Amino acid sequence: MNLTLKIWRQKDAQDQGGLVEYQVENVSTEMSFLEMLDVLNEQLVAKGQDAVAFDHDCREGICGMCSLMIDGQAHGPDKAATTCQLHMRRYKDGDTIVIEPFRAKAFPVVKDLVVDRSAFDRIQQAGGFVSVNTGNARDANGILIAHETAEKAMDAAACIGCGACVAACPNASAMLFVGAKVSQYALLPQGQPEREKRALSMRAAMDEEGFGHCTNEYECEAACPKGIKVSNIARLNREYLRATIVSD
Amino acid sequence: MQAAEAPAQAAPCRSCRAVEFLESSIGKKIMVALAGLFLCVFLLTHLAGNLILFLGGPAFDRYAQMLESNPLLPLAESGLVILFLIHIALAVRARLANMAARPVAYQVYKGKDARTPGSSTMALTGTLVLVFIIIHVATIKFQVGGAKGPDLFGHVTGWFHNPLYAGFYVVALIGVGLHLSHGVQSAFQTLGINHPRYTPMLKKLGAAFAILIALGFISIPIYFGFFNRAPATMQTNGSAMPIGPIGGAQ
Repeated sequence: MNLTLKIWRQKDAQDQGGLVEYQVENVSTEMSFLEMLDVLNEQLVAKGQDAVAFDHDCREGICGMCSLMIDGQAHGPDKAATTCQLHMRRYKDGDTIVIEPFRAKAFPVVKDLVVDRSAFDRIQQAGGFVSVNTGNARDANGILIAHETAEKAMDAAACIGCGACVAACPNASAMLFVGAKVSQYALLPQGQPEREKRALSMRAAMDEEGFGHCTNEYECEAACPKGIKVSNIARLNREYLRATIVSD
Repeated sequence: MQAAEAPAQAAPCRSCRAVEFLESSIGKKIMVALAGLFLCVFLLTHLAGNLILFLGGPAFDRYAQMLESNPLLPLAESGLVILFLIHIALAVRARLANMAARPVAYQVYKGKDARTPGSSTMALTGTLVLVFIIIHVATIKFQVGGAKGPDLFGHVTGWFHNPLYAGFYVVALIGVGLHLSHGVQSAFQTLGINHPRYTPMLKKLGAAFAILIALGFISIPIYFGFFNRAPATMQTNGSAMPIGPIGGAQ
């Protein structure tokens, strides 16, 4: 099939950028969305033009590198899927697709569709970890954890940090990401020693990066490729309120 | 954004912590939610009081007189003003920060249908309600302009004979309903109350509350503006005479 693409092209962070129209021909329905962009880039390079820059790595939905706002939807139209898991059978011949980078003040554009998401790394470094002493490995079942609790923690830990929640949020808020990262430890015994410090530090880091405020519109949950639930945002609210009250 | 803020692990300082909380994105939202829920309680009592209008002039005026003569009224009114100021000031600050959080808008933004008519219009309905409250307090409480009756009942119902006033009242109350349709359930989420068992119930409660409040208040201008215009005879020629014991007390 043949497609018309309107792609955001921006030379660098300083450039103003704008949508540029491209035609791609002979797109197979079996291609992934990123493979379709590879085809476009081969065509552009063959013509001596600059290839479209976009992020990608594992191409199997687990690394969190791919992004893209496709027709106004983070990671495209599918539910619980990353852009690399989106296939061209979703589209039909003659379709026009608008492709933009994830947009937030905290995610500055590096080039074209590539944005700098290291704000997430800095939030993680502020408290998204547990401190474990080295030494002999603990017995696997030494600390008992209820199955339901372990499941909830694992559901939160499924976050791949892609930033779709921020991209989809009308306020560019990072509450789903931070909620997931705080929840995965708040739920487990291993996370308890640093529980309050984590909630306070990660909240402070999140605000310092310039993300917006959550207004509970839940577009983040709808866009999340890993199905992270907004109950994690409620838990972050609880954790932060609790930490504010009880910590020294 | 908050470079001057003390780091979280700083020496214990209760007031610093409180300031940090109020300056934080989550703290602001929690205060907006709390103030909003208290305002909901006010809406219920206000609606209950207003529905006394249906019992006729003497009953309503007796109620109004009882309210006005209560020595705790100024305290309650000040509390109400403070709640409104907290709710509005922090919501506006959050809104401004949210606009700054995405300086370059999307060319196409569709989302995945999670937003509701209520959630996507909170700033708009909030502004509408604020404008309404200013007009409402000026015209009903401070009795600026309008057809003045010999009593508060005549004054209030007199306003509803003005189709423009009644129409704006209805539109504003639809705005209140929309605002509440998102606000009530959103407030519980912000306070950290989210549970597979209670959240669906709270969402229904929020929707029911929004409908109850909107329809309850709207019934008044509809009834007195369109179906029962009898008290119109109580209107005087609009001179600025004192309005009985209630108006005179102000």
